[in-house]
Amino acid sequence: MRRLIDNIGTWLGIANILIVLVFLIFPIAVAVMMSFDARDYLGRFPPQAYSIRWYESFFSDAYYLQGLTTSLILAVIATFVSTTAGVSAAIVLDRHTGRSKEVLESLFLSPLVVPAVVIGFALLLFFSLLGVFDGFTRLLGGHIIITFPYTVRTTLAGLVGIRKTLTEAAMALGANERRAFWDVTFPLARTGIVAGAVFAFAFSMDDIAVSLFLTSPDTYTLPVAMVSMMRTNFDLTIAAAAVVLMVFTFLLILALNWAIGLEKLIGQGVFRS
Amino acid sequence: MSVLELLHVTKRFGAFVAVDDVSFTVDKGQIVSLLGPSGCGKTTTLRVISGFEEADQGSVIFSGKDMKGKRPYERNVGLLFQDYALFPHMTVEQNVAYGLKQRGFEKTRIVNRMGEMLDLVKLKGFEKRRPSQLSGGQQQRVALARSLAISPEVVLLDEPLSALDAKLRQELRFELKEILSEVDATTIVVTHDQEEAMSLGERVIVMSDGKVVQQGPPTEIYASPRTRFVAEFIGRSNWFSGVIGAVAAPGVRDFETGDGFGLLVPEPTEATASKDYDICIRPERIQINITNDVSNNHPINTLSGTIRDVAHLGADIHFVIEVAGKHLITATEQYNGQSLERAGQDVALTFSPHDCIIVPSNS
Repeated sequence: MRRLIDNIGTWLGIANILIVLVFLIFPIAVAVMMSFDARDYLGRFPPQAYSIRWYESFFSDAYYLQGLTTSLILAVIATFVSTTAGVSAAIVLDRHTGRSKEVLESLFLSPLVVPAVVIGFALLLFFSLLGVFDGFTRLLGGHIIITFPYTVRTTLAGLVGIRKTLTEAAMALGANERRAFWDVTFPLARTGIVAGAVFAFAFSMDDIAVSLFLTSPDTYTLPVAMVSMMRTNFDLTIAAAAVVLMVFTFLLILALNWAIGLEKLIGQGVFRS
Repeated sequence: MSVLELLHVTKRFGAFVAVDDVSFTVDKGQIVSLLGPSGCGKTTTLRVISGFEEADQGSVIFSGKDMKGKRPYERNVGLLFQDYALFPHMTVEQNVAYGLKQRGFEKTRIVNRMGEMLDLVKLKGFEKRRPSQLSGGQQQRVALARSLAISPEVVLLDEPLSALDAKLRQELRFELKEILSEVDATTIVVTHDQEEAMSLGERVIVMSDGKVVQQGPPTEIYASPRTRFVAEFIGRSNWFSGVIGAVAAPGVRDFETGDGFGLLVPEPTEATASKDYDICIRPERIQINITNDVSNNHPINTLSGTIRDVAHLGADIHFVIEVAGKHLITATEQYNGQSLERAGQDVALTFSPHDCIIVPSNS
């Protein structure tokens, strides 16, 4: 009897994983396949013939292209700023203990729990209060805020395992605090920092809720462009745009990983002896 | 000339006094052990010397220069951490060269010095390994090479052998001593392990509650502890509390223990107002005699009792003997093939008056 329950449990677990996989991968596969559909109307799945006409349509559409360009520039700058700020915040948090640290930490992570729509609306009000009406500045501010919790969190996780004696050893050997940070703390926390940057980039590329509030008529991101096209001119160019967004996100994450040290991530795992 | 001098160093953390008016000097090439239980302030003393903590009062002097306000990287100390603190993302070579690089030495000089150091610790051929690919003993030698490479004025070792297992510890103790004497390093060893302190240090400084309670050569600390704390902390001991009496012979006095035994003890060295003293007898100083042996009739310092336990630990045999009043005495004998007394046997314990260590009560 007990064995039966165990078996049922195991099967339910496997079924659970399968269902999740189907719902995760299948829609994406459908979107990718439909983006290559040769029909000029939105037909049933699967496509009867394939072509790249929707991609041609995407790359010849100035509206989409401008969205893509904005998204990429925005994501790169937001990731850079957010990672720098997140790493500094995490280092300060890591050095302190007690009540003030906990309060600060939950404050830094609060954008994770506040609904993005609320953040978007609040930022819109805040920026008009400050007199900032430039779309790009507003978007950048918003994207930094929504990605910041990820960079703080992952850097903190990376710093936790680094023994204090390592920094002290560096200092006893003649390194000042700044040198000790770059020679010891940073390389050891790199895994966490890179993970934060990757998250930040992906979330910036993907965001719609905050961006919707902060766009201006001439500055908008690719997801915003896709949503507005869906309302006005619904065709499979959107599927192509989705695939392009996906590919760019993936490629830039790879590039980022490579630049900051993917080989270490895979080769050595997390450095702790 | 003294390389390191501590003058009335006091360090407080809030209301807690971690180091309380500590003064001592270390001469060039000397190895000094800082010995005490955990929380006695020895590690804080080490951190004050290395510059990670600033003394609230008093001064730390390196070869005549006051180190006040100097950060760790402005002092020339070689620090060996308990966990070695080897940089896990660097090779052996990079670890050893790190301090030399910070000093801005040119490349050939760094390479030469590194070679010298790896030779010294017998790790030639391990240059490209990472710390995680080394054994505990090898890691310790890398850490030692790294701290000695910068030719430090003072070498500070924090519990250098405690992370290793007992057998390796003994081997490395000897090696460590050889290496340190080869480079003529002025060294302070911080440890809670009396064996480590006594085998490494030419001089032992015993600390308790932030204060230095006694300092001297290991033999002196063991043979003539000045307080009960020192005697108990270093080596095994049997204790009797009692009151000192009249002079029985030159340098020897009567002593009445609380259990009612009359003993002869040496003249106390530490004067106290009261006549209450504690007597300590080291287990190896006690002679065990079979009671029914008529020729062994010692009138002086003889206690009769019964063996309760015999433990044969290889070279030594440990006896637990109950004497009158449920008082348990530990005695050790060297094993040289003799037939062993058994538990339950009645014995007489004797010890010479000069084997009694007399210290003031409550010290």
